[in-house]
Amino acid sequence: MLCKVYEITGKFATDSDSGQDLYEMIYPHLEKGEAVQLDFTNVAVFASAFFNYAIGQLLQHIKSEDLNRLLDFKEIPPTGLNVLKRVIDNAKHYYADPQYQKAVDTVVEEYAASF
Amino acid sequence: MTTRFSIPTIWIGYEDFNKLFEIWEQISKLPLTDLDIELDFESCKFLSHNGVSFLGGLVHFIESRGGKVTFAWHTLRPKIHMNLAQNGFLHHFSQGLEPWDGNSISYRRDCNHDKSEIMEYLLDKWLGKGWLYVSKQLRDAIAGQVSEIYGNAFEHSDSKIGVFSCGQYYPQRKCLELSVIDFGIGIPTKVRTLPTNSHFSSEDALMWALEFGNSTIMDVSRGLGLNLLKEFINFSQGTLRIFSNDSYVKIEDNKVIYKKQTINFSGTFINISLKCNEDYYCLASENLDASSIRF
Repeated sequence: MLCKVYEITGKFATDSDSGQDLYEMIYPHLEKGEAVQLDFTNVAVFASAFFNYAIGQLLQHIKSEDLNRLLDFKEIPPTGLNVLKRVIDNAKHYYADPQYQKAVDTVVEEYAASF
Repeated sequence: MTTRFSIPTIWIGYEDFNKLFEIWEQISKLPLTDLDIELDFESCKFLSHNGVSFLGGLVHFIESRGGKVTFAWHTLRPKIHMNLAQNGFLHHFSQGLEPWDGNSISYRRDCNHDKSEIMEYLLDKWLGKGWLYVSKQLRDAIAGQVSEIYGNAFEHSDSKIGVFSCGQYYPQRKCLELSVIDFGIGIPTKVRTLPTNSHFSSEDALMWALEFGNSTIMDVSRGLGLNLLKEFINFSQGTLRIFSNDSYVKIEDNKVIYKKQTINFSGTFINISLKCNEDYYCLASENLDASSIRF
């Protein structure tokens, strides 16, 4: 599957809403083991909120080795790559570390119980 | 009864922020029935972009509480009047004049997170005037980092009256500045909504918010925005100041200084200062390519 990111974000891949839109578009394909190429042609500005939702949360359901095999990034400028790398590092830590996840779950449960 | 507040001279130093918070505090303490306010500028010899953005927000803050604000426009010194006309402040408050290009970066109020409008503001009106000698790619990168401030303000602050911005190029100091203010709950208050953080002091809470991966929202992995901004400020040798509730942090020269504030401002006031010298800027990520991305 080839996905032209510009058609979702326009020039600015900076917000969580368009990140979520992209996630919903690519996740079903990746889940089925289909390759996805993200073409960032004409996307110029990037912020972490976009990548958190578009890419980071993929690590919640799909293994790193599968994402390395299936997901390809095309025409993404270095400034976007810099943010993307940080988002992936953070997401790997967040979703993969059982202790960290347990701590997060505990906080969420306590937070929910506080209402 | 009308209560008169005299706007003092507002430069861009630490103490100038506190003068603004003092006015906010005095107004906050007024009974809702006494919010007929007049603002005069007789004592004001200079009004920096920080003063402009804060004052704009303050007026909407007062009006949101059912108050009324009158400006004593005739008390403005001619140079300040000219500056407020140029940056669109007067136009915003129905004083007719359309803003024009100059060393001021226009005053604006954003009630919604319209990413295109905010990005155009950052790219064209703030970074795009040629004051900062950077490539288009680096300009895009700076705008992306700074847009995180707006993202945070709209997602976390719960500001009922929006987000206020203004900027200025100071040619003598060779710096380009931008301030972004919300009148929401403040970062420390938001951080303490997590039960595990409820015991945090305001300084601890602000410190926590600036750390990599820390976020009060846990639907997906996040919490990079302020951390990336901090990193950018460090490598660009700029200055980042954040005032939120009764805490203050200044990031400059790779140093992070936290301070407790006397006044507990309900909101967040962020100011960025960038040095207008191309030697200061480099793109740390310029050697990256897509093959370096590994999950």
